[in-house]
Amino acid sequence: MRVVIGDDEVLVRAGLAQVLRDGGFDVVAAASDAAQLLQYTKFHRPTLVVTDIRMPPGNADDGLAAALRIRQELPGTAVVVLSQHLQRKYAVELLANNSEGIGYLLKQRISDVITFCENVRRVGTGGTALDTEIVDLMVARARRGGDAIDALTERQRQVLELMAAGYSNAAIARRISVTEKSVVAHASHIYEGLGLLPDDDGHRRVQAVVQYLNR
Amino acid sequence: MQSVKGHSVGARSVKGQGSSAVRSLHFSLLALAGATFAIGAIEIAMNLVEPAGPPWAVVAFIGVAWVYAAAGLVAWWRRPSNRIGPLMLFCGACWLAAGLLNSGIPALISVGMVTATVPLAAAVHLLHAFPSGRLHGTASRLTVAGGYFVAIVLQAPLYLFEPNPPPYDWLWVADRPDLLALGGAAQRLAGAAVMIVTTVLLALRVRAAEPARRRVLLPLLSYGIFAVLSVPLSAAVISLLFGLSPVAQAVFQLAVMAGLPIIFTFGVLSGRFARTGEIEELGAWLGSAEGSRPALADALANTLGDPSLRLAFWVPELDGYADAAGSPIAVVPSSGERAVVEVNLADHRVGAIVYDPLIVADAELVRAAGRVVAIAADRERLTVELRSSREALRLSRARIADAGDRERRRVARDLHDGLQVQLLLLALQAQELAGAHPAAARDVVALRTGIDSAAADLRAVVQSIMPAALIERGLSAATEDLVDRLPLRTRLSIEVQDGTLPEVVENAAYFIVAEGLANALKYSNAEELSVRMAHDDGKLMVEVSDNGVGGATLNTGSGLRGLMDRTDVLGGILRVISPAGDGTRLVAELPCGS
Repeated sequence: MRVVIGDDEVLVRAGLAQVLRDGGFDVVAAASDAAQLLQYTKFHRPTLVVTDIRMPPGNADDGLAAALRIRQELPGTAVVVLSQHLQRKYAVELLANNSEGIGYLLKQRISDVITFCENVRRVGTGGTALDTEIVDLMVARARRGGDAIDALTERQRQVLELMAAGYSNAAIARRISVTEKSVVAHASHIYEGLGLLPDDDGHRRVQAVVQYLNR
Repeated sequence: MQSVKGHSVGARSVKGQGSSAVRSLHFSLLALAGATFAIGAIEIAMNLVEPAGPPWAVVAFIGVAWVYAAAGLVAWWRRPSNRIGPLMLFCGACWLAAGLLNSGIPALISVGMVTATVPLAAAVHLLHAFPSGRLHGTASRLTVAGGYFVAIVLQAPLYLFEPNPPPYDWLWVADRPDLLALGGAAQRLAGAAVMIVTTVLLALRVRAAEPARRRVLLPLLSYGIFAVLSVPLSAAVISLLFGLSPVAQAVFQLAVMAGLPIIFTFGVLSGRFARTGEIEELGAWLGSAEGSRPALADALANTLGDPSLRLAFWVPELDGYADAAGSPIAVVPSSGERAVVEVNLADHRVGAIVYDPLIVADAELVRAAGRVVAIAADRERLTVELRSSREALRLSRARIADAGDRERRRVARDLHDGLQVQLLLLALQAQELAGAHPAAARDVVALRTGIDSAAADLRAVVQSIMPAALIERGLSAATEDLVDRLPLRTRLSIEVQDGTLPEVVENAAYFIVAEGLANALKYSNAEELSVRMAHDDGKLMVEVSDNGVGGATLNTGSGLRGLMDRTDVLGGILRVISPAGDGTRLVAELPCGS
């Protein structure tokens, strides 16, 4: 899988490239600022872009802006956005149109290379990877509103969070050590409870859940 | 507040309308004007009843008295502390007294006879006393006294020893032609001496005056001497030179004498000396009741007749000047359009008067005014110094707050680019080690997760120093992120566009909201919180409220004090509205510059 990465810190760039290469990705270019990232991406047409948010020239949310632009100009390109601090607003912006091929993770997660590569790969194949921290935040926020989520069981909420994070039923089943069948059962309860349209294991599921959480 | 009120009252009194003292002066002057007119009118009427001279001559004589009185009253009204006004009024009275010669009533005629030449002595007095109305120097005083002696005492032989027909014989004691001749000669001689000494003294005074002053003094005093001399000399010299008839001679004398008060009044009111009198006025104003003083600069501007006049106060700490509000101002040395005169008090600099040299040509005059107000100015200067140090303190606090914010940003960025990156790299290295040494893998992974949790702690620290959202986006994004992480339901209403407010205002607003929310969580026991922000009319309105127990003050939570300072520095307002049992509202209004 061809990947273009972006980070202004040379050691992080090297480390990230190494992690991805070790994970079987083909890192074709490494950009040190947002403009370069756009340029390299347009040139190499990678399957996936992995970028930091805070980057030159503005040293603000330049990496996020570049990622959104890539999604707009090259719609098939998957994007994983990394940051030292996660914000719900950024997640909502990233998932606004389409959750397929979107990842938003804490930068520190790179160090757990196996999980990180798994997440990146899922995004590269059209899936979604939302950091558990941001999913927790969304669920907690939705619950404060006195939501239908409160009526869910503890296990159902756990499944909901994993669904929002972008995991498939099989992956959820592995993570919480239940059968895939029971995950499907939980999912349908959740759908019913929250008034969502059943969408099986499809990619649009994440978007439906995230949209629900961020009403 | 008190002093401001006082100022406005005083300002009116200097313009001459307000204070009760000035009002009663005006009332008295009007009464004097009425009396003078009435006495003159009665004298004219008496002459009509019992003609003692041609009516036109009497009317002209009384007319001169009225001109003196009127000129005196105008000068007195306009320059209450200049004595030239009262002196001219006195001259008018002398003319009225002398006019009684034509009254036809023996007692009054006698008054007229005694005072017949007093108007001349009074005119000499006027010459010596111009322009302040006061006599300066022993020579002047003696000469004026001599003038009155000649006019009153040496006049006596004329009515004591000359046999006149009734009713002019009331004071007559004996028919003594010898004494009469002797008295007349003595009066002429002494009168001539008084005139000569007067001429010399005035000439000396004109010579000693500064050029600018001399230009005005010379024609005025020359005319004065000419006018006074014209009476005794007109018969002998002027009539000979111009061949005047006795009637024309009398008219000429009266006209010349009537011209004297008119030009002197004009001189006092509009000439450069006017201001000598005005400076005395300034002194009088300084002596007036404390509370009724207008601002010093206004009084100076009024006195010197230059509305553009500014008074700058010397502030040693600034090593420069400040205005009355304490803000530093530049005082540039005199140029064509603005002139500067320093005000000093016993060797130390008090301030400077900046004025328009086209309006006030005489720098000495401004210096004199400066000397008069020096002590008052010094006192005001101390206030200015205080204000200035307060202003300096505010600016320094603003700089400290700004420096603090910049330091927070710097530290947050440094941690983001430094320590956070290092922890990530360390964790990556640990992960690599785990791969390379499968035996130690378990320990090394534990090390890696330890590093990850240190990184999580560090993220929280960085967030509290200067939130990433505030750096990356701005106030509304940062506030939204803050509210997202609150454990309580929070209504959020933000009508602020990120990037439209000055950074220092965004920072202040953010920390106010953060502190307000933290306090609400800690103390209010509320179920719901609310954050509102609106940018309107050059102001950012920030409100954090809860439906909790209330009873909070600015002393609730140590952070609010610091926010007070922050708000204060921006010139904003921070209030806590927290009735017991009815929730708490923390409201801040922050000016946003432009």
